[in-house]
Amino acid sequence: MIESFREVARSIGNRYVEEWKERGRKVIGYPCTFVPDEIIHAAGMLPYRLRGINTTTLSIGDTYFGPVICSFPKCILQLAGQGGYSFLDGAVIVNGCDSMRRLDECWRKAGEDYPGTLPGYFRYLGVPHKVADYSLAWYADELRAFVKSLEEHFGVSIGTPVLRRSIRLYNRARRLLIGLDDLRSSPETPLSGEDAAAVVLAGFAMPREEYTRMLRKFLPGMEKPSQVMNGRKRLMVVGSTSDDLDFFRLLESSGGVVVSDTMCFGSRSYHDLVDEKGDPIEALAARYLSHKFCPRMFGYYKERLAFIHERALSARVDGIILQNIRFCDLHGSENGIFERDLEARGIPCMRIEREYGPLVETGRIRMRIDAFMERIS
Amino acid sequence: MKRETREYNYDWNIWTILENAALVCDGTPKEYRSLLSCIPHFGSALDIFIRQGEPGIRFIRLVSQYIRNCITARERGKKTALTSFSMATPILYALDIVPICLEAFTIFGTVVLKRGTGEFLDYCCEIGFTETSCSSQRGALGAYLSGLATRPDMIVCNSPGWCDSNANSYAFASAYLGIPFYQLNYPSEVSGRRSSDYHRQDYRHLISFLEGHTGTRIDTARLGSIIDETMKQDELINELSDLQMLVPNPVPNIYDLMIYGAKSCANGLPELTVLLSSMVDRCRENAVKGLPGNSTAREKARGMFCYIDHYTTDARLWDWMDANDISHLGSILCRYWQADAPYAGTHDGEGYRLDKGSLDSMIDTLADMTARMPMVKQIRGPYDAPQMWLDDNLRLARLLKADFVVYFSTVGCRNTWGAVKLLVRDLEKQGLPSLMLFLDAFDDRVMSWDAVTDRISEFIHVRGIA
Repeated sequence: MIESFREVARSIGNRYVEEWKERGRKVIGYPCTFVPDEIIHAAGMLPYRLRGINTTTLSIGDTYFGPVICSFPKCILQLAGQGGYSFLDGAVIVNGCDSMRRLDECWRKAGEDYPGTLPGYFRYLGVPHKVADYSLAWYADELRAFVKSLEEHFGVSIGTPVLRRSIRLYNRARRLLIGLDDLRSSPETPLSGEDAAAVVLAGFAMPREEYTRMLRKFLPGMEKPSQVMNGRKRLMVVGSTSDDLDFFRLLESSGGVVVSDTMCFGSRSYHDLVDEKGDPIEALAARYLSHKFCPRMFGYYKERLAFIHERALSARVDGIILQNIRFCDLHGSENGIFERDLEARGIPCMRIEREYGPLVETGRIRMRIDAFMERIS
Repeated sequence: MKRETREYNYDWNIWTILENAALVCDGTPKEYRSLLSCIPHFGSALDIFIRQGEPGIRFIRLVSQYIRNCITARERGKKTALTSFSMATPILYALDIVPICLEAFTIFGTVVLKRGTGEFLDYCCEIGFTETSCSSQRGALGAYLSGLATRPDMIVCNSPGWCDSNANSYAFASAYLGIPFYQLNYPSEVSGRRSSDYHRQDYRHLISFLEGHTGTRIDTARLGSIIDETMKQDELINELSDLQMLVPNPVPNIYDLMIYGAKSCANGLPELTVLLSSMVDRCRENAVKGLPGNSTAREKARGMFCYIDHYTTDARLWDWMDANDISHLGSILCRYWQADAPYAGTHDGEGYRLDKGSLDSMIDTLADMTARMPMVKQIRGPYDAPQMWLDDNLRLARLLKADFVVYFSTVGCRNTWGAVKLLVRDLEKQGLPSLMLFLDAFDDRVMSWDAVTDRISEFIHVRGIA
């Protein structure tokens, strides 16, 4: 089973997407956890979280983006320009951060120069940066407009009952992933951080029904005694987006196991549920916008610190790796204060800045990890 | 940080320099010339302003008085708020809060101090900032975070929605110093009922926050008089924009910096009205005589800055352009989008109009004003959407008859670096020679000033502009 998760997590296209497309169904890409998958799912389409893995050049990404931009959206644009996302029928770009928001224009302009690389449905979704009654109302309106545009463009109907069903389905998978987190937090964590990341990442790239079935089969096997820890140190990873299994492998190569995280390709995407009772759009708006665990939500540092601290304690971590992609000032700077405040609470921390994409910096990161492991041993 | 840098507070240091600078013209011109040789590190920058006569002297006095207000606020029983250049400050003054404009303090330090703000930029990195964070905040923020400047009582930030780097700096300061934080947040569209309602609700929450932290209620009469003053200032700024459209441009280059520098400090205060009036008078005189504002009295080319200016050491940008007979047509920092501005008005609701009919109308229209401040308006949405960055620059370049457009920025400006290649491409397609330089407007370590002038000179030469 883990092999299936790994296979999906290591590639852009995968057999589930291919089968989905063969049945004539649509796929909608999105780059950030502030886009509710449930809406796309309720439209009968496959929500697919955009990634930039397996890029080998940034010739296209660098043509449209400026020089001091995070390599994550650049890699997505690179893949798009090369036709790597030709299976997408649509894409929703969101102002998750300033680098990511400009993917909207860069992709549109690249689409003019590389015909056929811009999906037929292309939409910008504006997400407020604060939680207040009026920002929730704004975001709910944005979601209603999103629903309407999907209905009009694809000739589908997204009624309340079907949206409720999607919410319940996504919550089900979230509960299973929370259960997996509990197992990982136990003294005998059942799987490596690399494999745990593979399990979570697969969920962003395959039909939710299938994914949930796979999780149900997979989890019971995780309750058996395991030899994963075997005296190794327990690590937690915090910070910028990371969907590269090799990065986790590298972090674990010096005698540690990643047992917890607060990343958007990780626990941040599933640790809280959508209310299943109220108006579904308002419930989605409330869950996704109240999601203050990304530093794009300004002024919620204390909540984020408490979230990390609580997860670190429950997973009994020996140290925290605070990482950020270069030019990700939101995570990078906040990591600086996390380091101050978490060290003051007795949790060893290490900050690293890295590039997204192929691990060109393996040697440097490995050296830093070795030094950190020495410190916490 | 060097020991001598720690010897004096950053804000106090700048204030004493400017306070004394404001006195230099009390003597004779001969005394002033003699004095310049005694202040080699500040003489060039000072002279750029003093050469402007009354407006330049008033500008230095205004800034000096503003900084004095900031550093003495606590002893005078007033609260201070660390805030950004894009925050329209009338509401803070109406609640007797002294706004400490971080970017203005970075500019003052960059222009005035011998070593610029390098050590403060680096200090921020020592305590946790990424080295790629925006230098326009870090320059002064290093002083506030290291305890070498007046500790603010609260933070009022209005950049979420149009600049992550800016908002992030203020959020960091709040978390680091443990002081209250309020953010005004902007949706991607400027005008329209939905955006307008959002701005106004957000603004009312801001007022509740400010009232809560000062223990005072808004004084309608006081707010009314501040709005009166702001309306006069808006008219004067609009007139300067009108005058800039003339060929030759009668507005001296340095007025660009003086407009937004002074507005950041004294928006709604009478001293800004007096300064702007003296600037307008000077430009009118030039216009009547058909003279350009340049000290050389020649205009070979007209350059517009599609984003910000360059601030390192001695305010050299404006002086260099002046010496090379190039008119500086302003950056987006001196455009405020009043409904009567010559560049506004093609789209419904694009410009704001202050209304002092009632407390509600004052608050609502101040919210409209704040939502159209420089950068707040242009870079909150897709660069090529109506009323956004491309639209504004094309319109301004045509009205101002710009011969070329330059993009200066900071390394931390994710939002514009993410779209500027597209912007430049589109401007060029429209026949506007456009130059994008990879530099940091506050930090010469990224690209030296000599390299900057070489690049602009070569660009002007190769494109046959002058």
